[in-house]
Amino acid sequence: MIARLRRIRSASPFQAVLIGGFTALAAFMSLPIIFIFSHAFKPQNELFLFPPRFFVQHPTLRNFESLFLHASNATVPFTRYLFNSIVVLSLTLASVIIVSTMAAYVLAKYRFHFKALILSMITLSLMFAPETVSIPRYLIVSGIGLNNTYFGHVLPSLASPVAVFMLVGFVSQIPNDLIEAAKIDGAGHVGIFARIVLPLSAPAIATISILTFQTVWGDVETSTLFMQKEAMRTLAFYVNSLLSGLQNNVAGQNMAAAAGLLIFIPNLIIFLLFQRKVLESMVHSGIK
Amino acid sequence: MSRSAPYRRKAMEHHAKRYGIGMLFMLPWMIGFSAFVAVPVGWSMFMSLHKVAVVPGGFKYDWIGLQNYRDAFLKDNVFPIELITYFQQMLLMVPVIVIFALLISLLLNQKFPGRFVYRALFFLPVIFATGQVLSELFSQGAGDIPFLDQYNLEPLVRQYVGGELAKTVMEVLGRIVLILWYSGVQILIFIAGFQTVSPSIYEAVRIDGASPWDSFWKITLPASMPFVSLNMLYTIIDLFTFPLNPVLKHIRDNMFKVDTGYGYASALAWIYFAFIFALIAIVTGLFSRSMSKRRGRA
Repeated sequence: MIARLRRIRSASPFQAVLIGGFTALAAFMSLPIIFIFSHAFKPQNELFLFPPRFFVQHPTLRNFESLFLHASNATVPFTRYLFNSIVVLSLTLASVIIVSTMAAYVLAKYRFHFKALILSMITLSLMFAPETVSIPRYLIVSGIGLNNTYFGHVLPSLASPVAVFMLVGFVSQIPNDLIEAAKIDGAGHVGIFARIVLPLSAPAIATISILTFQTVWGDVETSTLFMQKEAMRTLAFYVNSLLSGLQNNVAGQNMAAAAGLLIFIPNLIIFLLFQRKVLESMVHSGIK
Repeated sequence: MSRSAPYRRKAMEHHAKRYGIGMLFMLPWMIGFSAFVAVPVGWSMFMSLHKVAVVPGGFKYDWIGLQNYRDAFLKDNVFPIELITYFQQMLLMVPVIVIFALLISLLLNQKFPGRFVYRALFFLPVIFATGQVLSELFSQGAGDIPFLDQYNLEPLVRQYVGGELAKTVMEVLGRIVLILWYSGVQILIFIAGFQTVSPSIYEAVRIDGASPWDSFWKITLPASMPFVSLNMLYTIIDLFTFPLNPVLKHIRDNMFKVDTGYGYASALAWIYFAFIFALIAIVTGLFSRSMSKRRGRA
């Protein structure tokens, strides 16, 4: 700590200005997080204060208490939603990473027929907002019979165009010489993929993990459309239905605030876990 | 001839094997992509040319050709206006976001104590910019500039700036929140892009007497041109598929109206999509031209 302080003191004027400016900007950017936290601990009367206060004046845990009381009265236990969310998340993350990296490896490093077509289709599908294709998707999912299974949660987000889009850019940065050298040393496709492509695209993989986590964790579409059984729905759906059920309810606002914080915390944790990987490997990677 | 035939067959086999394994890598993604992205998109094209009605046991499609598209411009008095307004806003936002991200990432690329912490902080908005948290915040917020009221900035600005100017400042501030939040991934891409330039080049031009200013224009910027175009694309896509944007909301509303229905909503989506596509085509066209020119000169 002292060493760090000394380093800061020995910074040049330019660095000092830089640090000052960034601190101000960073403080501005973390305002929403502080807001979410302080909002969750506001007692009833402060939630309806006008003009709204930013910081909580008299923090209380009542919001969480009433949320848990409400949850324990539900037909499906809270833990079941949580379990579903965790299963869906881990399956989706693992499969998205493997499937998209494999596809990106071939797309970035090999020439074959229809490659240009596939690449342009990826870019095209990126532009299509997912809401607008939800009905055809529903028809397909129920046609294959994936309703009320975990596959119904995982498969629709499996072929993520965003992930492949980002990964193709990254994998094509890996020098061809490296791959040639591995080939000469007798590595096959699997070897090249597992030993070279996967480790070297770690920063991009970390980025898409964060993005995938965000979308899957907050996704209510699959639960609403593809799952008719309450026991197969995810935590995001539960919180969302709780919130929309309470929207016009004065007494529900405190539960909504607490639930907002609870659904946000995993996002923050995953972010903190992965971001170090993203930034570290980005700087130290041997890619040129 | 007879000697080369088995040789050629072996070569063919070899090729097929290599090719086949490469294709196997693609296969899972291709299947998923066609089932859950390509087919639904095609299906929505099909629906946009029909009047879709929900009947017991499924959908009923009546061919009406381009009627839905015509209605979107001639009958609908909300859609064209919202489309144009949103486009105007976005044309302003996209360059600002990319330039802002470039500046921030340049500064973050400097050597100063604690830069890792700041890099993480600027990447942080990624977790708001998607879905749940954002809509949660928006639903708690007020109107168009949701956070400024809650942070109680307006009296503060009014106190220090005053009068009519305060309104403009507030508008800019409202944009700044969005700009800051939407530049997380872009900053990351830029920083990663800067790492691809080898430090020895900078050293060489420094020895040749170039100032940091020169080396930015002559080396850093040209080298990060592909990343600028990547970021442009990413920003456009990010802003246009933003879940709370008014055009998408209009499309969603139409989806569940009885008299318009899925067919009309799909047509609106395709018009919207065509506009974005035109924009992206222009951007990529410009960038590839400028890049090929540079390559030609080198």
